[in-house]
Amino acid sequence: MPEKVLDIDDLHMIYAGGVHAVRGISFEVNQGESVAIIGSSGSGKSTVLRCINRLIEPTEGKIHLKGEQINTPHTDVNDLRSRIGMVFQSFELFAHLKVLENVTLGLRHVRKMSKGEAEEVALSVLERVDLLDRIGAYPGNLSGGQKQRVAIARALAMHPEVLLFDEPTSALDPELIGSVLETIKGLADEGMTMVIVTHEISFARDVADRIIYMDEGVVAEEGPSSIINNPKSERLKKFLSSLHEDEVPEQIHQDEGDSTV
Amino acid sequence: MYEADSRLSEPMALRVNRVIAIAAVILLVTVVSPSQAKEFQSSWEVVESGTSEDLLTAAIFDGQVWAFGTGGVMLNSSNNGVTWEIADSPTNTDIHHSDSGFGSLLIAGDSGLMLFKQDSDSEWLDISLPLGSEVNGVSLIGGHNVVAVGDQGTIWKYDTGVWEVISLTIESDLMAVSFVDEELGIVVGSGGTILFSDDGGENWDYREAPEGASEAVIISVEFYSPTRIYAITDDGRILISMNNVVSGTEVGYLWELVDFERHYPPGSNEYLLEPATLDVELTTVEVVTTSKLLMTGVDGYLSMSVNGGTIVSQQINPLGNDTSFNDIVMLTGFIGVAVGDGGAILWTEEAGADDQVGFVVPEYNNFGVFVDETKAMFLAGFIATVKIVAFGIILGFFLGITLAMCKTSPTSLRYIVERFDHRHVRAMGIPILAGGLYQFYSGIPGTRDLGLQGIEYIFLPVGAPESFARILLGIALTFVGVLFLSNDGKFAKIKIKSFTLNPWRVRPLNTIATVYTDFFRNTPLIVQFLFIHFGVRLGALIQGPGLDIFSFENLEQNHNFLTDIFATYDHSEGNYGTLIGGMLYDSAFISAICALGFNSGAYQCETIRGAIQAIPSAQMEAGRSIGLTYLQTMRRVIMPQAIRICIPPMGNEMVNLVLNSSLAMIIGYAELTRQGKLIVASTFQYAYAWGMVLISYFVVTWTLALFLRWMEEKTRIPGLGMTGGD
Repeated sequence: MPEKVLDIDDLHMIYAGGVHAVRGISFEVNQGESVAIIGSSGSGKSTVLRCINRLIEPTEGKIHLKGEQINTPHTDVNDLRSRIGMVFQSFELFAHLKVLENVTLGLRHVRKMSKGEAEEVALSVLERVDLLDRIGAYPGNLSGGQKQRVAIARALAMHPEVLLFDEPTSALDPELIGSVLETIKGLADEGMTMVIVTHEISFARDVADRIIYMDEGVVAEEGPSSIINNPKSERLKKFLSSLHEDEVPEQIHQDEGDSTV
Repeated sequence: MYEADSRLSEPMALRVNRVIAIAAVILLVTVVSPSQAKEFQSSWEVVESGTSEDLLTAAIFDGQVWAFGTGGVMLNSSNNGVTWEIADSPTNTDIHHSDSGFGSLLIAGDSGLMLFKQDSDSEWLDISLPLGSEVNGVSLIGGHNVVAVGDQGTIWKYDTGVWEVISLTIESDLMAVSFVDEELGIVVGSGGTILFSDDGGENWDYREAPEGASEAVIISVEFYSPTRIYAITDDGRILISMNNVVSGTEVGYLWELVDFERHYPPGSNEYLLEPATLDVELTTVEVVTTSKLLMTGVDGYLSMSVNGGTIVSQQINPLGNDTSFNDIVMLTGFIGVAVGDGGAILWTEEAGADDQVGFVVPEYNNFGVFVDETKAMFLAGFIATVKIVAFGIILGFFLGITLAMCKTSPTSLRYIVERFDHRHVRAMGIPILAGGLYQFYSGIPGTRDLGLQGIEYIFLPVGAPESFARILLGIALTFVGVLFLSNDGKFAKIKIKSFTLNPWRVRPLNTIATVYTDFFRNTPLIVQFLFIHFGVRLGALIQGPGLDIFSFENLEQNHNFLTDIFATYDHSEGNYGTLIGGMLYDSAFISAICALGFNSGAYQCETIRGAIQAIPSAQMEAGRSIGLTYLQTMRRVIMPQAIRICIPPMGNEMVNLVLNSSLAMIIGYAELTRQGKLIVASTFQYAYAWGMVLISYFVVTWTLALFLRWMEEKTRIPGLGMTGGD
């Protein structure tokens, strides 16, 4: 029986403006599992992710990290966040810090490591994302793919118990996506527990152990990655078919055996 | 690759511009700087005397100047000492002493010679002492009587045509005598002897010489006025006695040695600091005004002091150091004559002041002279300005950052209470409400007592600051208390028709910061200066307790460079110290820093807040997501970027602060503008003075601007903001 890392129970989020973005979401993430959350924009995917590390406070519901409820007033939110890595859509690197300093910042000021120790850890994670040659560069001088890999390294350096990806490739040019997806895939293979919000359906299918399809704030369909190929609900079918031609639909048609290509 | 290329082009051009600008300034400075060669011209002119006898004494009598010397030589001048002629002399004995006054002229010489004259045309009357009497000094008392002094404590008195010896049991030699009127007189001599008479020389009292002069030979004395006596010793010291109004001590009782501060050699601005003596054998002192003296000495010594002897300036002696001067007389405050060996006579109409070291008004319309005379004041003002500017910037910056953080912090009431159970929040509301109502009502009586009416109530904060604060606090706490009591965990808005209000979004820190910045940005800085310095007396309020902490007693053994920032004492005195510097020295300085800092803080706050808001909020999320606290993220992530963004507007703000520092003159702080005003007051050179003040300010602001531009370039990072270059 794999250990439950994340357990989300009946999560609701109503924004200040009255928008009911998440309407009772429940799911679990097990140790070493990677879960992809897909869905059209506005379906509440990112909100769920931000609720998990409490960048926004859920209105209702419970979130457990390794069995411990983390959305209580008594939770040490800083400690919690240091245990949950987050990678943003637009990278959000610290522009005034060099690559190495971006990665060591959390280690030094949250983990209270010495400069030497922090750099040792940082170099090892930067090696993993294949950026050892750029450690002295400022983020402004990196390409988009490199930036996102630095962001991944920054999150990884903290040795998080779970890693959250908020549409990690949406802001990248198609030719730069490859290196980032490769990196994430590598992490999945190494058994990193991950929750990935993505638009890359094929990537989700390749990497994720499980896929959650969200629509209008609820889980419309959940299952192993094969549900991409065999959607059961009408909503997922509709969503998949609405996606751009060059993405998944062709594969769906292929799999369904009535390819028109 | 492309980074290297882009670094070459634009900043290179910038740098070349700057090099040219700096080179131009250096060129200008070097061309301008060869200062005019200083001409130290003696104000004494050599006058032809027509004799080669040593001239030993001089006197003014009946509109004429007289000089007497060896071989009985007598000279007189009827045009204030410009030309001299030899007068018929009834004697060939050396004449050593003379005195005039009360309508008479008296001379005394070797072997008891004593001649007397009552107008310039009349003959000399011989009233000589018995042969062999050696007179060291004479003084007229009234028109007919004379007191003469000699060795071994001898005093002769000439009264109603008869000489009388007044025997004193004193061993010391008496050197000089001086009477100020017909009764008060003084005799001085060797061994620090000072004798005083208040009955026209009949009876003499012994007076104690000041400590350190009890062995000295007091060589010359002048009873200048009924309240002031000057005397000199032959080893170059000055004694002074004055009426002490406070203790009721009359002149002649208390004597002190003048502490020399500076002794200028002839024709130089390089002075000896605090010499123990003038290191010369003085011969005579001439007191011109209450604090202006001229002194002569051997080897051509000729000097003047305009402040009672503490600063003594030697005069250039056009005859060189071989000629010793024996006497000096002043006809007016400015015109005078010095006589010396070999028939030497010097004449001046400038009170013996050399150019440069004297008080004669220099020609300020000569710019070189003007600069030379005023540069010390300009420099002092410049340093004073830089000091308040530097401390003001530091204070303003810290205030600005703090206020900006207050304004941008997410500390709404909701944020504060959210983590608590709503029942607990309600419970907290009760004491808060009670406290609020108590504060409110306790503030009311003080307000009523003022008897204000209607619109006059806007001045309430001035009339009853405590009551006003209580009422404000009361209202705020009542509001918070009611809000807490109504809390049901939903943080609902209040809706009145179409008007909605969310009381939970009130941010107390933001409110306080907003009130502060609004207040300081909406009132004139000059009034803030006046209110802070004279109204609140903030400078004095800080200075008092500050000096208690940094007192001489506390610092005596362990003062160091850090404590010197606050207070420095003159430790030379030993038992007690005199405050001579440090931040706590001047309350106007403290007030000026506070006023400038408070005001600038309000503006800098808005600048910094703008820069903080320009940083994408996702940067905060990114920082928080790796576990940094809010303050850590502010410090490590947001601020470093925000400060870079706000360097250009901050430069504006700092330049403004420099320019605003000129308003500190209104509270009496001696900064650049005030110094300019003082210089104008003493030189009347408006264009020069204000022009130099302008340039001095420009130097400060331009340096600051260059520094900030350098900072901007230095701290520039790729990808943050548009820079035009890179």
